Amino acid sequence: MAKDMMTRFELYQPADIAGALELAGKLGPDGWLIAGGQDSLDWFKDRAKRPGAVVDLSRIESMRGIRETDSGLEIGALATVTEIEENTLIKSRYAVLADAASRVASPQIRNVGTIGGNVCQDTRCWYYRSGIDCYRAGGSTCYADTPEGMNREHCLFGADRCVAVSPSDLAPALVVLDASMVIQNKAGERTVSAQDFFIGPDTDIERMTVIEAGEILTAIRIPNTWAGARFYFEKVADRNTWDFALVNVAAAIQVENDIIQDIRIACGGVECVPRRMSVAEDIARGSAKNEETARLAAGSAARGAVPLNYNHFKISLLENLVLRAIRDS
Amino acid sequence: MKDPTTYFPGDSLNEADPPGLSAFRSSRRAFIKGVIASGAVAASSGYLLSGCAPGEGPAAGSVERLISLNVNGRIRRVDVLPNETLAMTLRYKLGLTGTKLACDRGECGACTVVIDGMTNYSCSTLTHTVGSRSVRTIEGLEGPDGELHPIQQAFIDELGPQCGFCTPGQIMSTVVLLERNPKPTRDEARRALSGNLCRCGAYDHYLNSVMRAAEVI
Amino acid sequence: MAYSLIGKDFTPPDIRGKVTGKAKYAEDFSAAGMVYCKMLLSPMPHAQVSNIDVSDAMSMDGVVGVLTADDVPAMDGAAQAILTNTPRYVGAPILAVAAIDETTAADALEKIRYDIEPLDFVLDPLQSLYPGGTNAQAAGNVASMGIPLQEIKWTARDFASADPDQFPMTGKAVSEWSYGDLEKSFSEAAVVYDESFVTASNSHHSMEPRSAMSYWENGKCFLFGSSQSQSFMIPGLAAYIGIEPRDLVYIAEYCGGGFGSKGAAYPIMALPAHMSKKIGRPVMMRISRAEEYYLGSNRAGFQGRVKLGVASSGKVTAVDLYIVQSSGPHNGYPDFNSAAGAVSICYQPNAMQYRGIPILTNTPPGGAQRGPGQNQIAMVMEPLLDKAARELGIDRLEIRRINAPNNDTIFGGRQRAVTSAYQTEALNKGALAFNWERTKKRSGERNGSKVIGVGVGQAYHSAGAAGFDGLVRIAPDGRLHIHSGIGNLGTYSYAATSRVVAEVLQCKWENCVIERGDTRKHLPWNFGQFGSNTSFTMSRSNHAAAMDARQKLLEIAAAEFGGSVDEYDIGEETVFSKADATKRLSYAQAAQRAIDMGGKYAGHEIPDDLNPMTSASAKAIAGSGLIGVAKDNYALDATPPALAAGFMVIELDTETGRFEILDYNGVIDCGTVIHPLGLASQVKGGAVMGIGLATTERIVYDPQNGLAANVGFNQAKPPSYLDVPSTLGTDAVNIADPQNPMGIRGMGEPVMGCAASALICAISDALGGHYFNRTPIVPDMIINAIAERKQSHKPLQVYTF
Repeated sequence: MAKDMMTRFELYQPADIAGALELAGKLGPDGWLIAGGQDSLDWFKDRAKRPGAVVDLSRIESMRGIRETDSGLEIGALATVTEIEENTLIKSRYAVLADAASRVASPQIRNVGTIGGNVCQDTRCWYYRSGIDCYRAGGSTCYADTPEGMNREHCLFGADRCVAVSPSDLAPALVVLDASMVIQNKAGERTVSAQDFFIGPDTDIERMTVIEAGEILTAIRIPNTWAGARFYFEKVADRNTWDFALVNVAAAIQVENDIIQDIRIACGGVECVPRRMSVAEDIARGSAKNEETARLAAGSAARGAVPLNYNHFKISLLENLVLRAIRDS
Repeated sequence: MKDPTTYFPGDSLNEADPPGLSAFRSSRRAFIKGVIASGAVAASSGYLLSGCAPGEGPAAGSVERLISLNVNGRIRRVDVLPNETLAMTLRYKLGLTGTKLACDRGECGACTVVIDGMTNYSCSTLTHTVGSRSVRTIEGLEGPDGELHPIQQAFIDELGPQCGFCTPGQIMSTVVLLERNPKPTRDEARRALSGNLCRCGAYDHYLNSVMRAAEVI
Repeated sequence: MAYSLIGKDFTPPDIRGKVTGKAKYAEDFSAAGMVYCKMLLSPMPHAQVSNIDVSDAMSMDGVVGVLTADDVPAMDGAAQAILTNTPRYVGAPILAVAAIDETTAADALEKIRYDIEPLDFVLDPLQSLYPGGTNAQAAGNVASMGIPLQEIKWTARDFASADPDQFPMTGKAVSEWSYGDLEKSFSEAAVVYDESFVTASNSHHSMEPRSAMSYWENGKCFLFGSSQSQSFMIPGLAAYIGIEPRDLVYIAEYCGGGFGSKGAAYPIMALPAHMSKKIGRPVMMRISRAEEYYLGSNRAGFQGRVKLGVASSGKVTAVDLYIVQSSGPHNGYPDFNSAAGAVSICYQPNAMQYRGIPILTNTPPGGAQRGPGQNQIAMVMEPLLDKAARELGIDRLEIRRINAPNNDTIFGGRQRAVTSAYQTEALNKGALAFNWERTKKRSGERNGSKVIGVGVGQAYHSAGAAGFDGLVRIAPDGRLHIHSGIGNLGTYSYAATSRVVAEVLQCKWENCVIERGDTRKHLPWNFGQFGSNTSFTMSRSNHAAAMDARQKLLEIAAAEFGGSVDEYDIGEETVFSKADATKRLSYAQAAQRAIDMGGKYAGHEIPDDLNPMTSASAKAIAGSGLIGVAKDNYALDATPPALAAGFMVIELDTETGRFEILDYNGVIDCGTVIHPLGLASQVKGGAVMGIGLATTERIVYDPQNGLAANVGFNQAKPPSYLDVPSTLGTDAVNIADPQNPMGIRGMGEPVMGCAASALICAISDALGGHYFNRTPIVPDMIINAIAERKQSHKPLQVYTF
């Protein structure tokens, strides 16, 4: 209860990715990677996570910066959320990402928090964060998914023992931009699409991304595919600062002659991963971009939703946000 | 009962060590050493890395404890633990108690300091990650003869603070705002300060203060 | 009346410390050899702890002591102890460890072994009232201030007589009153509404956690604490520590917010004093945000039912109100009674019946929070009044004017009069600034998915007391020292009321020194700084002391130059002969004469009706100048009210359940305005807190294990900059109250309730008059209401999302 002093740990500050990977291999499960540390330190103070060693990635210059490439943009995993919010290239070509960045937490968090950290942050399920022995914490119960569980903030889709949701605002934007996540390990580099980067409890109940032990997310590449498309981002939360989305939506739409040529929509706060609205996209694709199409597509958004005791409002909210994404983009 | 001697009220904790405080520090240091030698680290459920058990004592390649911090334009030598936050270092090692701890979770902004021109929650910053960057706190705003910074004066003139606990953080966010955007609109000011919570709800008066400061600077 | 200081803005002396970081709050103090304590908090909502084994912890390097429940006073009845082996809420402190640093203290807590046996617990008051329901304390389920711990169960028939979704009205109450002919008055109503309701509990979450530091020196206990009040803390704190009040040195220069939770002595503040006494070293207890949530108090939640009758004229004819309060496991605060009084004064029903009962729950201890009771009930009643206005075709502002309290008002179970009341004027002023006639026409205006809602809300709190002491000193250097024991909760009212002394003595503000924040400054006995009382109460006691000093100045001049006191007057920091201006003593000279004359002039002889604390302080400074000291014996034969009206227009997005506040204007009836900028700050700050109370802040517990879902700021959701308008309008009626020497009344609480209820009314208005029966109104509820979907919570469910 109410812990606030971190346990003792060693702190390493490697200067390059090779050094970080070596430390990661050496330290094993006793090690913990931090970038901005805005999520990690809370876990440490709660003593719910007790790493013996912490690897501070913030001195790795090659993981910083936002670079234009032939195929699009490469964003270092250490780029801060503020840098993304203010970057002129991102604002002009991928406004959905800048918009999403502007809605993350608070200015101070955005100044320090990184895009890598934002997409790797752990779920905000309040039971899990209380430090109790739920499935995700290695136990054998989900306190949220019970007849009396207080599960307003939990999922509509993809429950599998755990009903936690993806908290990230940037993740849905990266999914609709078809970003690739660059992951380095001792063997080299692998890339995973943003869509596949996030995993649900059916894949691994203790992780939220595909990153394996000993791996580091080093960069995020955004292809030219959606540059300059019509975009929409909206986050609905109880507060306009420092709050997590009840539901958020990101959309990218290619429109020609008022006809939707292509469209990608993803929502956070409704599943353990950013949920791709594939059916809504199929309905919208090839149709006129108007209220009627938007309503038709939105009507499909919550198909298959399994609301919990306190979150059926998310069905309407999800439908309405998909509606707005198509109608108002 | 042992005489606990005097407390150090007010300003004496700020820059120079008052008599007695150095003794307090050395006992703290001696103690820290002892614990590291005997410390038992509980098992971890770390999820990013896999491999061997925790090492004993300071491991090779880990950070040096004695570091230099650039605080308010001065280089300060300070003994910093690996798991120490900047708010803790400022408040308890350097006596800069103007930086407040209200949530210690990066949620309220009472601990806001400026690091290389950007606002940070010092409660959620490990001191060792600051490196050679410059740190500015509320104590660094006054002129050499104690004259108030125009932002501080504006916060007085508009009766910005109520209880005052969030005020240093509000002012540090204002410092950065006006450096990056000297003539902000009220809405820009409101967004720039939005990471600073005020339970008294003094937002309107704080914004009046910011806008007045923007006129003066 | 024209004043030179009252009603003028000024720079409060403590504000410079706030903008420079030099202001010292409790945790900013330090002492050589200081150690740090941390508490073991209960992981269970109700449990019995036994077999505490601290040996492993004590054997750790750097651990210097453990304090358990056996080391602190046991408490009677339902009162909360400093530490307990029978924790009655998750987060209740069981024991504390002191170590040479905080990490070691935290490590040591993990080495303590103890047995903890879970006991039955209860979160829902109605469940506790049900036959066979769980008691939050073994000895009972009902207690409050002035209501002894006892067990009360309603009968199964009581529950069966009401629909399951309705609040049963026949159960036994512990607090009740009525006046008028209820049946007849309801029969005179054109419309009668009968609504069950829930108002959620919410945390105070003051920005400054209630850290404290203590050490002992020469038999005296030095305590650095966080409190709204100064002198008022002393007797209670001394009792918690187990010493005489004279042996407590209490330092509280600044308080980082209290909102009622730090108004009077609270048990945990005494913990470092006990620990320090036990281990012989200074002890700092730094309180974390989570600990502040558990220990820092919360507003009582209500389950209740109200029957409201309104005549076709718009006059409220009858009210029948029943409130069950969830108080936490200890005595809590009697919000329920205050709520009833507020209904009576705000709507002036011809007949009213009130019943209430406080129920203990295994939730963190409740306490007074800004407008305790009045502000909850404002959010219940104001939208109901709108419902009547709509049905009767009466303007919503007009129906409030029709029922507004005025100078002839009597209210409550004891049918008390008011000193003065100008709520109609407040409504009119607000309506003018808000442009009510034009703005109300925007109600229901659509813009895509957005719809305009307009609301007006009102709230009340009593605004002052009498009978406290004032103490002032004119020093031989001519400076006027105003000794203020009121405290410093951040409203600057300690300074504003000190200006009353300067006003009476016609002294320049620059020549005044306010002595405060430390027992050693020789402070008088003053009321606590809470409950909208300071401006009224403290201006009276300061006025009394100033008048005493004034009289002594005249007497000294008469003694010096001859003649009677009537021949002398004061001005420009001198006392002079009205007939011969050359016969003049400066205040500095007069102070020296007072010292020379001794007796009452120098404070050696003091009135015998003073509180012993004031007497001791006066004696301590006796002989150092001209001493003005007096008890406030001015007449007070009625309740001074603080009344407020708030006007709000919002744009509600029907697709997201979120809204933006487009405009707000708050007006307070608080007598003479003493400090315009301070008043504006309070009206605005109250509005911000009210917005949170109405729409974002609530406490949720898991009924399976009693765990809290809203511990940190991000879950408790106090409003941020972006959740409130960046500009808020304020005004005051500014008509002097006859029972304060300068016409001043208090104002802090209703400025929150009027905004909260205005927002509830505006949301309701945007939704065509939908009455939610519950606060806060969160996006879920709005979305569900628009979708015509059932709400997630059961109608009377508490501590729920």
